[in-house]
Amino acid sequence: MATENSNADGFGEVSRVRGIAFEYLSFGASVFGLVALGVLLVYVAIDAFDLANASPAWLLTYFLTLVVPFLAFCLYSADDPEVTRRALGALGGGLVAVAVLFTAIEALVTPIPRLNWQLAYLFVVAAPVTAYLAYVGSRGRVGAVGFGLLGRLVGGVAIGLAVGTLFLVFDALLWFLAYTLGVLPAVGLYAFGRARDEARARTAAAPVALVGLVAAVVLRGVVATYPSDLIIYLWTVAVPVAAAGAFLVADRRSRTAGAVVGGVPLALATAGGFLAAGAGLPAPTVLLALVLTGVPTAVYVSRVVDAGEGLAGLGLPLLLAAGVVAGALIVEALGVPAPDPWLDPSYLTEAPSRTPTEAGLYPAIVGSVIIIAMVAVLSFALGVGTSVFLEEYTPESGPLGTLTRILQVNIANLAAVPSVVYGLLGLGLFANLLGLGIGTAVTAALTLSLLILPITIISAQEAIRSVPDDLRRGSDAMGATRWQTTKNVVLPEAMPGILTGTILALGRAIGETAPLIMIGAATTVFRAPDSLFSRFSAMPMQIYTWAGFPQADFRYGVVAAGVITLLIILVGMNGTAILLRNRAERGS
Amino acid sequence: MASSHDADATGITRRKSLAAIAGAGALGLAGCTQSSDGGDGSDGGDELSGPINIAGSSTVFPLMSAIMEDFAEEHPGVDPDISSTGSGGGFSNFFCTGDTDFNNASRPIQPAEEELCAENGVEYIELIAATDALTVVVNPDADWIDSLTTEELAQIWKSDPAQTWDEVRDEFPNEEINRFGAADTSGTYDYFIEAILGEEGHTSDYQATEQDNSIANGVAGDEYAIGYFGFAYYFQNPDQLKALGIDDGDGPVEPSLETASSGEYTPLSRPLFTYPSIESLAEEHIAEFARYFVEQTTNEDLVAGDVGYVPATEETQEEQMEKLEDAIERAQG
Repeated sequence: MATENSNADGFGEVSRVRGIAFEYLSFGASVFGLVALGVLLVYVAIDAFDLANASPAWLLTYFLTLVVPFLAFCLYSADDPEVTRRALGALGGGLVAVAVLFTAIEALVTPIPRLNWQLAYLFVVAAPVTAYLAYVGSRGRVGAVGFGLLGRLVGGVAIGLAVGTLFLVFDALLWFLAYTLGVLPAVGLYAFGRARDEARARTAAAPVALVGLVAAVVLRGVVATYPSDLIIYLWTVAVPVAAAGAFLVADRRSRTAGAVVGGVPLALATAGGFLAAGAGLPAPTVLLALVLTGVPTAVYVSRVVDAGEGLAGLGLPLLLAAGVVAGALIVEALGVPAPDPWLDPSYLTEAPSRTPTEAGLYPAIVGSVIIIAMVAVLSFALGVGTSVFLEEYTPESGPLGTLTRILQVNIANLAAVPSVVYGLLGLGLFANLLGLGIGTAVTAALTLSLLILPITIISAQEAIRSVPDDLRRGSDAMGATRWQTTKNVVLPEAMPGILTGTILALGRAIGETAPLIMIGAATTVFRAPDSLFSRFSAMPMQIYTWAGFPQADFRYGVVAAGVITLLIILVGMNGTAILLRNRAERGS
Repeated sequence: MASSHDADATGITRRKSLAAIAGAGALGLAGCTQSSDGGDGSDGGDELSGPINIAGSSTVFPLMSAIMEDFAEEHPGVDPDISSTGSGGGFSNFFCTGDTDFNNASRPIQPAEEELCAENGVEYIELIAATDALTVVVNPDADWIDSLTTEELAQIWKSDPAQTWDEVRDEFPNEEINRFGAADTSGTYDYFIEAILGEEGHTSDYQATEQDNSIANGVAGDEYAIGYFGFAYYFQNPDQLKALGIDDGDGPVEPSLETASSGEYTPLSRPLFTYPSIESLAEEHIAEFARYFVEQTTNEDLVAGDVGYVPATEETQEEQMEKLEDAIERAQG
């Protein structure tokens, strides 16, 4: 009572109406935005996966074989009666509510195009409940193990495919020489120095690497015969990855366990690679995907088995795979009409075509992945470098300080310059003046890096500025040089913030179309680029072109499949970056 | 143990078998080598290889990319790419600066562009790709209108246009005309001015876009709208819009593949072009592609069925082929 009175004295007569109105206004705004976005995504998903033609029986089959077991797994992991009760209530109550509401709207107000109440239930109730339960389930030990394993399987395949894609444009033979002569000796020397505590061996690593790299570049022009691509990838990627996995496990357990963890996936991947070569598949990519999936999975399983807790979680991938297979068998046996999705494997592996059903996005996907990989490296290096220099090395006062401030204001303004202008800059500077070629991958990557550079610089600066000054002064007091302070104190502390900014900027870069049009990137290509100087197409360009095709199948199905592909790649990329950031956060 | 005893008995020592395994291994590795010019040159049979860069008209784009798709399938070594930049954008930004091998155009090259090409030393020839019937469309619910004369069309689209439909013809409703048309970077725009408007110029009171799709959506959503675009869009979506017959003095003629190829659909049927650069034709794979292109211009299935333009006649094709062979000879000879 006393406190209420004093509040009233302090603020005078306060009407609660305004506060409540404000709260609901904010709530309304967020709901409107989210619902609009949700409806868009639902329709894109319906088009891309042809769900409008999915019969209720088909939906029910997969709901029972795939979704229900997954939900049961999450509930088992969460092991909380309250959550179970809530989930079942939402699923059951949602079913009735959606069916009634949907039918009422259809009957009384207006028919809802290309949607039935089963689909509405799938998107409005089943998907959110599944996401919620996946979140709750992953906090239990069993769920954490299951999702960890699933993440390594999916992530390994994704990274394997991405690395395989990068090797399409980077010269594998040069990489072979550079690895053999530069990287391997340097890493070996460094590891030796660490193990035996020999400072000289550690300092020698960098010059050895440099000499090796120069030798590689020289030898690339001289040597005429090389091992086949498959052997190169085996030697330069698969063996080191397997060795790293083996060492990790051997450290913790026994040498035998280490040898098994490294050796079995390596043997499987090698066999897979040679089989793929025989079957006409892209053997190097198969090898990379298998080894990058197999080794982390084996390491993870060994660690879980060691810990001995939540072993049941290891069954999650099996559970999902069994659900898919069982669903497919039932659908086949009962002759249930199944949807024919636009987004299928052939869409991801074929070139564009004038026939909608044969059209594929492969060259554009490869183009986008290559460009975005280069943009990530370039903008990270340039952005972090610039911001460290501006924050740590430039004086704050005097004429130089003024200059720095002018520079800062200009950088902030550059962030708002329209992307078309950067496209013009790229066309003039990189394509014409430096002669990197119109519409080549390297021109595009440089242009897009410049486009997002202001954003990366500003966010990295903010992150560096937020590192408390006490830490720097403390490091100075210990006698550390400015470089040591920056490297050991400031950058590790600022890294999560820097990565957040870079992730957002990359998300913008992958969807940019206007600068690509300006630098003359091709609308349609029929082959994936095979060097940094070949002309390429990117996903947004190809999607935009399809949207203008006269056939309705292009404008709905093919475009929707492209949008979903773009979103999946974007989410995968951001997911990787967020994992890295979380790791950096935990590390500090 | 028994086996090793047997081995000894037959005289195979451990050292010998090691040597044999090493030898086999070396042979196996030798089989896994490649020369430094890349391991996947095993396509064989087809020596054609190299890039082909094409830009230009968005109207010719579907036709060119369809032909390119087939060519790329037949010749795996060739690496073609195509950009849809609009006829003018292609000429001034890419073709006349020597950066592309072909430029597509939905109208003949203009004097300013000829000059630019000459300045940069780019020589070219003009090839006819197909015939397009520029189609004027209205909303399918507009049952009060079936055709327009060329004068009425000009009245709607000239720089000082009629504001309501009843100004055009007395029996039309007294409703405002909503216009959707091609943007002024488009060859379709230039052609429409040339064929219908002449000196009077094009109105600026309309929704201008490079995307046929937007024109179609605009017209489909408004009963009193009118729009025009290339025939392909209407050909693929005949139910969504209503095409108007055009009366050039001999009664209204509806746009169709037949009326356009027979020459009845005047004055809106127009030739589409592509311009190969002579310097590029010196390269065998580009010359071969140009020949393939001219061959395909009479392919009914592809040009009419898949894309929706009017194929060239045998006669035109022969003329174009002769012209092309002359140019190739000049370039390579």
